Amino acid sequence: MKDLISYIAKALVDKPEEVGVTEIEGEQTSVIELKVAKEDLGKVIGKQGRTARAMRTILSAASTKIKKRSVLEIIE
Amino acid sequence: MPVLEFEEKTLDDAIAVACEKFKLPREQLEIEIVSKGSSGIFGIVGAKKAKIRVTAKTLSLEAAAERGKEILTEILTHIDLPTVIESEIREDQVCLNIISNGTGLLIGKRGKTLGALQHLVTKILHREVGENVSLIVDTENYRSKREMSLTELAQQLSEKVKKSHRSLTTGPMNAQDRRVVHLALKEDLEVRTKSKGEGNLRRVVIYPVRKGKKPQKAAAPE
Repeated sequence: MKDLISYIAKALVDKPEEVGVTEIEGEQTSVIELKVAKEDLGKVIGKQGRTARAMRTILSAASTKIKKRSVLEIIE
Repeated sequence: MPVLEFEEKTLDDAIAVACEKFKLPREQLEIEIVSKGSSGIFGIVGAKKAKIRVTAKTLSLEAAAERGKEILTEILTHIDLPTVIESEIREDQVCLNIISNGTGLLIGKRGKTLGALQHLVTKILHREVGENVSLIVDTENYRSKREMSLTELAQQLSEKVKKSHRSLTTGPMNAQDRRVVHLALKEDLEVRTKSKGEGNLRRVVIYPVRKGKKPQKAAAPE
């Protein structure tokens, strides 16, 4: 899951080296925290949060497959 | 735009290789000659390879399709699902078709997941090539099925509008779906269509065209 978000985020931003993804795993739910450079924040969120929503959608599709839940948090 | 360097025995060879790589005709490439290359004496002594630096003036759709396919493949490898992707070019659009084991996982509710994949691939591709490429992601013919049911819905609504002489509104739709509705009723001179609303709540309104008035079609936006 972590790699998925990491790949997408790195492909979207101007400073891929500043992308940081951490995964906090729980029993059922894991929280994925995404950190990007300040000026790239808008790129991972997108117009009206469209890109962020797209990432969450794909993330939940991917976690359904392994019968888990994942939440994506974008950290400022 | 990507810049690549090519090194071949002769200048012509290098250019041919570049054309093949970019999938573009020679006129679409900006070629800078780094070294001309020489065959040396009798082609043995002092032979130098020709080197060129090539920039593509426009992006070929084939190259975009290829790259789009790579991006989509990369995303899908993280979703634990065996998939094969076909790319195709249809009327200036890149179509990526995902062949998978036929669960609705990649479609999602009302095509949500498919839409998300499409949005991300388009965005990443746009960032890489610096040009807007119209790209469609499809699986199990979902898009064409959806198009068919939308066209049917549009036709039903237009019949109702014609009978009642009152305008009707569809549910909220995204741009792609609205386009299908507009196109479905384009030829119908008794009704006209218009998009109304903001953002996610944008919907299509179907108006009756009054008799006696000159039948004029509103240009379908989007």
